Amino acid sequence: MKLAWLLAASLLGAAAFAASPVPDFQLVDLQGASHSFTSLKGDTTVVVFIAVRCPVSNAYNRRMEALNKDYSSKGVKFLFVNANVNEPSEEVKEHARQVGFTFPVYRDSGNVAEIFNAQVTPETYVIDKQGMIQYHGAIDDSQNEARIRKQGLRAALDELLAGKPVTVSETKAFGCSVKRARPHRATE
Amino acid sequence: MRLSNYGRGSVRVSSEPRPSGSGWTGYSLTVTKWLVAFNLFAAQLVPLDRPGFAHLVESHHGKVVLVDVWATWCDPCREELPKLVALHKKLAFDLITISADEPEQEAAAAALLDREQVPQPRYIKRSDDDQVFIDAVDKQWSGALPALFLYDRKGARIASFIGDSDPADIEAAIHKALP
Repeated sequence: MKLAWLLAASLLGAAAFAASPVPDFQLVDLQGASHSFTSLKGDTTVVVFIAVRCPVSNAYNRRMEALNKDYSSKGVKFLFVNANVNEPSEEVKEHARQVGFTFPVYRDSGNVAEIFNAQVTPETYVIDKQGMIQYHGAIDDSQNEARIRKQGLRAALDELLAGKPVTVSETKAFGCSVKRARPHRATE
Repeated sequence: MRLSNYGRGSVRVSSEPRPSGSGWTGYSLTVTKWLVAFNLFAAQLVPLDRPGFAHLVESHHGKVVLVDVWATWCDPCREELPKLVALHKKLAFDLITISADEPEQEAAAAALLDREQVPQPRYIKRSDDDQVFIDAVDKQWSGALPALFLYDRKGARIASFIGDSDPADIEAAIHKALP
């Protein structure tokens, strides 16, 4: 099941998400303990791929804190994942301390970015109670908070929590490439 | 055509809005190329919007073209620039750079390109909606940088390099596109 899902996600990108529930996967906390997605997820779960050295990801640190604060009380569970192989756990831990994250940051156990076909930081995936991805893409449409026009992630969460279908389920923004364990390279 | 001041005294060559049925975008890009040729855009970047991109590769018809979408905030993009310049000196292809920076980073982007002696043409994306621009370049592209797109002499995209790429792979792909 996981292999088929992974293959579909790689071939079709986010479009494949609609087809089947997200398979279970493992995340590693910064103390080295492994956790299954099943044990961490909420009724609605947001997986956010972040980075230490990416200025775009860092531009969203405050917004990620606000999102976690605003939606945790509504039953949304945020899983912040660093999948960059060039950023050691000690660096991730120190960064989280310096930034003052109030949420845990997890490491990719090896294939999580691949399972999601995550390519850019920050990149988000909203997963509903049935395990289906209802939104994939950017937190909002501008690195510069003063220029935000579309709150893609918040809009999707608000609709989902209101029991409505997500109107815009896919957005994109410029960001840093995810430094996966197995590099991705698109070639025609 | 419409030339207007666009922030900090730079010159904007925009294709939007355009007069109906005038082939405006292709025309403005031709003019842009002349301005670039005469170094009138030196020390600044040429704003490029979505319709402008659609005609960009077309305007280099007959040449193998490597489009580099980069940004000042992207470390691997900055590291890649001198390697692309070296490749450009070695092989007969057109190198087009498009900065994905915000307008306030334009001066820093232009200075960096000067420092690395990156050839013209040098563009900076102009879009109210980055998703529209990203999709105009490639609907399959996530927006992750660095991003290189290689086009053959007929303007067909033949390779994409997203994220950190081995210069040898890029060189091999360009070689393959050249006769």
